[in-house]
Amino acid sequence: MSPARILRLTIPWLALPTSAIAHAAAPGPVYTLIGAHNTLTYTFTQAGAANHGRFKKFTVRFDPGAKTLTVRIDMRSFDTGDAQRNSILGGRDFFDVARYPQARFTATRLQRTSSGYLATGPLTLRGVTRTVSVPFTWRIVETGGRRVGLLEGSTVLERLDFGVGRGEWRATEWLGNAVTVRFALRMAPAAR
Amino acid sequence: MLRNTPARWGALSQLLHWLIAALIAVQVALGLVGVALPLSMAKLATLARHKSLGITILALVLIRLLWRLSHPAPALPANLKPYERRLARLTHASLYGLLIALPLTGWIMSSARGFPVSWFNLFQLPNLVTRSVPLYHAMIRVHIALAVALGLILALHVAAAIKHHFVLKDDTLRRMLPGTAPARAGAPETIKE
Repeated sequence: MSPARILRLTIPWLALPTSAIAHAAAPGPVYTLIGAHNTLTYTFTQAGAANHGRFKKFTVRFDPGAKTLTVRIDMRSFDTGDAQRNSILGGRDFFDVARYPQARFTATRLQRTSSGYLATGPLTLRGVTRTVSVPFTWRIVETGGRRVGLLEGSTVLERLDFGVGRGEWRATEWLGNAVTVRFALRMAPAAR
Repeated sequence: MLRNTPARWGALSQLLHWLIAALIAVQVALGLVGVALPLSMAKLATLARHKSLGITILALVLIRLLWRLSHPAPALPANLKPYERRLARLTHASLYGLLIALPLTGWIMSSARGFPVSWFNLFQLPNLVTRSVPLYHAMIRVHIALAVALGLILALHVAAAIKHHFVLKDDTLRRMLPGTAPARAGAPETIKE
């Protein structure tokens, strides 16, 4: 019997136990976004005044059972409500959306806290990956006979950690370093 | 003397008058430079200072107006012709009006554009209106028109002060300056020190 044939015959059997275990664990639902009212916003201080923006396109996948949370943000979908500000923030000195069209957050650790969860893991934004911790609350509500999960929270990031603001925009006197990111999401079990 | 007398302006009125005059000069410079600069940190800083200073001027003008309404102003010089009296009152009323309207239209501009006003990074002022691009563009035009009007009225105001001081040689300018004003020709007859 050739080694290749041995492998071909053996691999399905090696794979069997793990898939059997996965099924035996009776996994809970994986939640994904539903509806059109999910919000992912950010606020920073410009010259002493709060400035807001939001992302319009993003996906979130939350598996409370497996303790995984994945967020993907289409960086081109951000909107500050002002055309000039959009073009500046989308440009090379800030988000540089042409080169970095996507941001990702993957929780590699999900801890229970008194009020919900603390998700910790790498956030890749503008090509820079940093470990961040994001606290959030998770509630399941019944609406119209449907189980809907509400995932809400906020965290503070420092824009310069991710190279958001280059050249003269690195200065923080008139453009604060701290950026508060807030999210309020409606989620429902997705088909596996 | 803090209060006005019939013959001259009191210390508070004088202080506010010259302080506001100096701030207007800085304010005009900040506004022109802020508009001229390309988008940069310097532009943000300049416009932020312009906004902060505008709010400061608004507050000082309101204090000055309240003080003036509660404390009679010195009498207009006795040598004025009736039309000059009307012109002087109109000029002064316009200055108060413009110095209130200019900061307010700037504040509305900022609110409409979605760049809230902060006072020297210390606190953020509420937005006067919700975001509206058409309102923002309309307010720019109003703000500029008012600024031009302020320039014209100020030119008239300064020209009148110069005429009173150097041509008519009366105390009109002197009574807005610190120190005692000696009685000169054309001064009001009701001097009480």
